[in-house]
Amino acid sequence: MVSKHTPAPAGPRDAAGAARVPGQAGGGRRRTGPSKHPQPPNSVLRALLRALPVGPSVVLMLLFLAGPIAYCVWIAFTDLQLSGQAESSFVGLENFRTAFGDEGFINAVWLTLVFTILSSIVGQNTLGLALASLMQRASKTVRTVTGAIVITAWVVPEVVAGFLLYAFFRREGTLNSVLDWLHLPSQNWLYTLPILAVSFANIWRGTAFSMLVYSAALSEIPKEITEAAEVDGAGGWRKLWHVTLPMIRRSIATNLMLNTLQTLSVFGLIWAMTRGGPGDRSQTLPLFMYEQAFKNNLLGYGTAVALLLLLVGALFSLVYMRMLRTEV
Amino acid sequence: MLATALTAVLAATALSACGDSGSDPDTIRIQFKKSTDAKNKIFDREIEAVKKEFEEKFPGKKVELIPVQVPDEQYYTKVQQMLRSPKTAPDLVYEDTFLINSDIAAGLLTPLDDYLKDWKDWGQYVDTAKTAAQGQDGKTYGVPDGTDTRGLWYNKELFAEAGLPVDWQPKTWDDVLDAARTIKRELPDVIPLNVYTGKPAGEAASMQGFEMLLYGTGADPLYDPKSKKWVAGSQGFTDALDFVHTVYNDGLGPDPQDALDPNVGTKVGTEWLPEGKLAIDLDGSWMSNNWLETGPTPWPEWTEVLGQAAMPTQNGEAPGRVSMSGGWAWSIPAKANNPELAFEFMKVAQSRKNNTRLTIANGQIAVREDVAADPDYQAYVPGVEFFTGLVEDTHYRPALPVYPQVSTAIQEAMEQVTTGDASAEDAAKGYDEQLDSITDGEVVEK
Amino acid sequence: MPTSTLTRDTPPPGPPAPRRRGPGRRPASRRNSRRLAADLCLLLAALAFVLPLAWLLFSSVDADSGLTARPPTDVTWDNFDAVMTTDITFRPLLNSLILCGSATAITVVAAALAAYPLSRYSSRLNRPFMLTILFTTSLPITAIMVPVYGLFVQINLIDTMSGTAFFLASSQLPFAIWLMKNFMDGVPKVLEEAAWTDGASSMQALVRVILPLMGPGVVVVTVFSFIMMWGNFFVPFMLLLSPDQMPASVSIFELFGNMGSVVYGELAAFSIIYSAPAVLLYVLIARRLGGGFALGGAVKG
Repeated sequence: MVSKHTPAPAGPRDAAGAARVPGQAGGGRRRTGPSKHPQPPNSVLRALLRALPVGPSVVLMLLFLAGPIAYCVWIAFTDLQLSGQAESSFVGLENFRTAFGDEGFINAVWLTLVFTILSSIVGQNTLGLALASLMQRASKTVRTVTGAIVITAWVVPEVVAGFLLYAFFRREGTLNSVLDWLHLPSQNWLYTLPILAVSFANIWRGTAFSMLVYSAALSEIPKEITEAAEVDGAGGWRKLWHVTLPMIRRSIATNLMLNTLQTLSVFGLIWAMTRGGPGDRSQTLPLFMYEQAFKNNLLGYGTAVALLLLLVGALFSLVYMRMLRTEV
Repeated sequence: MLATALTAVLAATALSACGDSGSDPDTIRIQFKKSTDAKNKIFDREIEAVKKEFEEKFPGKKVELIPVQVPDEQYYTKVQQMLRSPKTAPDLVYEDTFLINSDIAAGLLTPLDDYLKDWKDWGQYVDTAKTAAQGQDGKTYGVPDGTDTRGLWYNKELFAEAGLPVDWQPKTWDDVLDAARTIKRELPDVIPLNVYTGKPAGEAASMQGFEMLLYGTGADPLYDPKSKKWVAGSQGFTDALDFVHTVYNDGLGPDPQDALDPNVGTKVGTEWLPEGKLAIDLDGSWMSNNWLETGPTPWPEWTEVLGQAAMPTQNGEAPGRVSMSGGWAWSIPAKANNPELAFEFMKVAQSRKNNTRLTIANGQIAVREDVAADPDYQAYVPGVEFFTGLVEDTHYRPALPVYPQVSTAIQEAMEQVTTGDASAEDAAKGYDEQLDSITDGEVVEK
Repeated sequence: MPTSTLTRDTPPPGPPAPRRRGPGRRPASRRNSRRLAADLCLLLAALAFVLPLAWLLFSSVDADSGLTARPPTDVTWDNFDAVMTTDITFRPLLNSLILCGSATAITVVAAALAAYPLSRYSSRLNRPFMLTILFTTSLPITAIMVPVYGLFVQINLIDTMSGTAFFLASSQLPFAIWLMKNFMDGVPKVLEEAAWTDGASSMQALVRVILPLMGPGVVVVTVFSFIMMWGNFFVPFMLLLSPDQMPASVSIFELFGNMGSVVYGELAAFSIIYSAPAVLLYVLIARRLGGGFALGGAVKG
């Protein structure tokens, strides 16, 4: 069905729309509408018609995501259990009070921060950037082989990855065999430094994404700029700090945001490797939430923890948003 | 316009009822936990045979099987979700007995007393098994189809090497520890005694490990049915923790890091015992399933190498031995569509002939007198007689809704003494505090 | 998918080539030594990344496999034979294919439609909408599965492939819309304008002009969504009840034996079979379209 739009000149843009949309290409210069755009006469109707294609997605997301999330928000204020009670009741902020007085929860918050900062912000991000910039200089064969291997680690389903990494880090595992062969001291990583082991596992699994983002970003830096910097005698590090990083600042912010949010909700990997143990030394918030909701049957409490997890994600996001906004 | 069409289709899909949910009066839906061992199709075959028999006996009726094949924890999550709605509730469900009370409290199961009083076979069930699926209201909510017991497995060859009697039956906890110390002295490369501990081992730590000790310290040491309260601050609790502390701090157990590995159970069954690295193992009656021709680690010699002994009580108090039992039971959900027909199916499944076959197939211990006396059953695997004998002195866990949380608290206390982070007294104190918050202060001192 | 000559702005296949420097900028010897250093560093990284994967390959063909990576003493295909059955491999893989295939189709169509107005018109709602969407990508889906189950029972979608596919699609939609919009931003509007002057509607312009131009982008979104769904365990596990509808991500648990015993060799073999479609798909787009790097390009700020 073809709508009978008559071409009309584009109306003036409202100033409120002038904020830059993250993810807009071309460093955020706003596009102005073409002069020949088909438009119905009435502006409200026009806006509605224009927004129509968003309909299916909005319906799907409202029904299957927003609805359950709203219900979750409600559950978080009740003492609902998975089983073992005839009916649940509204308990207000009780679950949140419990959480902040619960040593296990506080421990999970710390571990989540360590895990996120170590494996996402420091690990995946830096390693991804390093690999991407090395790839710019390396020979084609090496570049292809390395890229394929790193990406395989990312594509393997999570259950499988968890098993691989368990086998890699355990005491009789591959890592210790390698260390022994190099005459370096080995230890039982999953027991002594479980949070480190799962962080490394997450770096192994997630670096590919950052590598792809940064490869694309670096390839877009005009070579005149880097060459100019070299002519000015900027060395490797200074060039990186003063030229390259500012040029790809927006990619860094977006990548950090996606990485962080992904890492915050990592569950399967840690579950397969350590179950959150030994003790609760690798029990990050998603695992804590799972244990409370599905093992201890405390659905209300577990959901309250999930809400707090989202809050942590929101805080990180705000920081990155600020990064996106500041001009170079 | 493509968009409009899509939106309409979505709305239509959401509103249309697709998938008829078994409200057909001639069909019953049976849900069970399928073995997660890919090679183990035995239980499935048994259920299929029962289905065939049932459909011949009741012409025109159909049985729909719903096997669920995942780790235990996730099975519970799924079952509890399914029981909540008449659309998804099966007519008969197979569940671990310790969850029964949770589901009763949530009103998810039907009491079976009216059905059972007209079923003569119910008299064949041993008393401990009859109470396995009993609610706090005294009604019966499930028919157990088999059970398991726990005791000590020990390696006769290692015992002989260390100069210990090959025909071993310790009378007290100290006898067990002394044997372990002798092993440690004579055979330094061997792990003397394995007691499951800590959160990674999960329920195995609470049940095979801790409760096997605790229930040897006195009557009702965990939950007091008279006052309907959980027991806090008992001496027995501290003593049992102290036993675990001794095992791990005196080097009588596995290295704590191995004991706290989530896959320790696999190691015990497939590596440590068959390879002669472990002398004494406090474990379940099903261990020999590991070593069958069809199991993960075939080991035909095990019948010669391993002996079994009952776990003694703390100081040899009567009855002198202790065992814990779990097991699974058939129940009828409150929202089942065809409860009468479902019970008929249960009767076929639990007839003497079928229950014998099923118990053998599942590697379980019999709960019926007539099955326990069956020659086929007595011959099915060496050692079955020993473990069946433990049924008279066995205990079931307090099957209450908060038990999973209590169990987690026990595992945490065990873990603290295993790593040496806390003494038995401190860990017991920590447990008492946990218990207080889990039960909202509904505890009793013993 | 025919790529027209107009797709100049899509990245070239494979990783971006190193830029050629002008002659005389730097002595060749120094350039070569830098290349060598980069190669060595990368190979070292590749080695570190390949080590955990070694266990998988070795155990899958080892008759007597444990948890230590070592070259198999006794090479055998038995593990593959053992898992190549209807129950363990073929039916679950087919289910996975139907489930993830249809969910991916829904995702891609809905995302392409939604991306069009977001990319082509500016509105004060764009930014909040995009931010909300970006934030939704990180939901711990596990946490909302219980209410979702309740919802599915209410509207009678429980235990249906279609319902599960819709839910999977919804959970993947936010990221797909976001990617799709960024790809669409890369298509110059000049080409649409030509279509409009010919009297085409926006939808026609989208289907006939824009989507063909962003072919690689559409493929990347498709493959990425598919790979993400392929490994999802918890969603199908909660929303499907009948065993004959279960996908491979659930059936993998058949290889974890009772009482905690695991048949590692078979698990490794199954893992390889199960991961193969995802890896192959990736290789396919990487070869044809430089797809991985196209993805990277779409994620930039």
